[in-house]
Amino acid sequence: MRTLRSRFNILFILVIGSGVIFSLAAVDSYDRISEAQDSMDSSFQLRNLVGQLPRYQFDKDYFEKLKTLRNQLKDENRRQLLTHVIAAYGSRNPQLLSRRAEQYESFEQKQYKIIKETISAEKQILYRNGTLAFALPLFFILLLIGYLKMGLFNPLKRLSDRMLDFLGDKYSFKFMIPEDNEIGDLQRTFNSLAQRVLNNMDELKDLDRAKSEFLSIASHELRTPMTSIKGSLSLLKSGVLGQLDKSSLRLIRIAESESDRLIRLINDLLDLAKIESRSLALKKDWVPLDSLLEKSLEGLLGLAETAEVRLKLQTFKKSIEIKVDADRFQQIITNLVSNAIKFSPQGSEVLVHVHLNQKGDLAIDVKDQGPGIAIEDQELIFEKFRQTNGTQESQLVKGTGLGLAIAKALIFEHGGMIGVQSAPGQGSTFYIVLKEWRKAPVEPIVFTNKSETVNETTKTTPRAAA
Amino acid sequence: MHILLAEDDKNITLILQLVLEKLGKHQVTLAENGQVALEKALNNSYDLILLDGMMPKMTGLEVLRTISKELPQRPPVIYLSAKTDQKDLDEIKTLGAGHIQKPFDPEKINQKIADFMEGESKQAS
Repeated sequence: MRTLRSRFNILFILVIGSGVIFSLAAVDSYDRISEAQDSMDSSFQLRNLVGQLPRYQFDKDYFEKLKTLRNQLKDENRRQLLTHVIAAYGSRNPQLLSRRAEQYESFEQKQYKIIKETISAEKQILYRNGTLAFALPLFFILLLIGYLKMGLFNPLKRLSDRMLDFLGDKYSFKFMIPEDNEIGDLQRTFNSLAQRVLNNMDELKDLDRAKSEFLSIASHELRTPMTSIKGSLSLLKSGVLGQLDKSSLRLIRIAESESDRLIRLINDLLDLAKIESRSLALKKDWVPLDSLLEKSLEGLLGLAETAEVRLKLQTFKKSIEIKVDADRFQQIITNLVSNAIKFSPQGSEVLVHVHLNQKGDLAIDVKDQGPGIAIEDQELIFEKFRQTNGTQESQLVKGTGLGLAIAKALIFEHGGMIGVQSAPGQGSTFYIVLKEWRKAPVEPIVFTNKSETVNETTKTTPRAAA
Repeated sequence: MHILLAEDDKNITLILQLVLEKLGKHQVTLAENGQVALEKALNNSYDLILLDGMMPKMTGLEVLRTISKELPQRPPVIYLSAKTDQKDLDEIKTLGAGHIQKPFDPEKINQKIADFMEGESKQAS
């Protein structure tokens, strides 16, 4: 695999290497030029000296100076010629001296030309190497940048874009063909991850479907035996198969009421499971609030009578509509009001009060004069199977412990809120809050200030409606 | 009324028979599967036929279809449907039969039958 890293290393080495090599070469040229320059300087000195030699006089100092300088020379030719000059000077022969001096002078002249040319040539080389020492690394750096862009940054951006696509909409995601390097590894890994997520999603969908199917079958299977049980018990109880003694009748009644409780429990459980798994399809529509409330309350009149509790409804003068699933909403109200009745002492009143809260949302309060609920229990009661102290509930109809949990789940599905305000000894007010409400498009013709009495239900319409 | 009850579950049969005879004061003839039900329906006259959906030999729906075809003046029919019979309900309605969903409350079945019969006689008149 030709990795990004190896390519990068090569380019990097080229950058550094070319810089170093040509710098060294330039330094080398510079040294040569310096050397040549030095050589030129020393020749110049000697030329002067030799040129200014007194031909007819012998100067001992001069002589020693020449010898010293000659000993310092490294160049063999120059050394030899200078030795001739020194010998000629020492021999005090003016003609010989002149001849040797001339030889030396012409030699130096030639040397001068040569060195000048050498220096010039070396300078060219110096400039070239110096430029290369700068330009080549620069060139390779540009190559490196280009390569990084093509080989690293662009593929990374493409990968990141694909990832964002996947996050946004998994199903239109297209898998990338992985490249043959480290980026390719990343792409391969991401492809695997994406595939796994898609598989998980499919699995979850299957699971959800299986759960819904199970709920549907379970609900049927659990309810079917109840037909035979209830049928048998009711036939026995009715006496058509022969009169039964008191104890037998009592036993049958126990079996019946427990069967009914079982049915309610099954219904509640399956209801809750449906709501929670979101396989519940709410049919939300604009429904008049008053008719829903009246229906719920009418259905509870029997219970209220038995418990000797008064039911009172306080609502608006103008007709209000709410966007809810009518059946489910009735379920919630029935739930709250029947709880209120069950926990109310005899002779007391349960009030259903409709009003607007500070935020302008529709609030429905169910107020009872029962024992109240302690603060630490107020959250608990909305959980599954939680009931406050069972002895305080009137023994009319035993609850399943799921009523409030179902009401809560249903309200949440409607986008509303549910809660309770209560203190021990001060009764309880259960409230639900709905955001989707409106004034009914057409006002009903008959809706007066009179208070109507329906059996034991009192409905009053306050004049000062909110 | 003379009622033909087509039902294969022995428990339900007994309960329904008792409810109809003792509480509803009807006369009940039993058919333990679809074929027997069809035979009896074609060869005798009844005031009401109660058909269970799931039966061996012939389903309630098939019996209903055949009866409707063979007897232009067939008696009122109530179909006892299970939850899984949803798709058949349209056809059942088209054929003019009433339906009660299972599981049903045995105590209320006489009332439901009475209501249905009232509806039928109103239609006929």
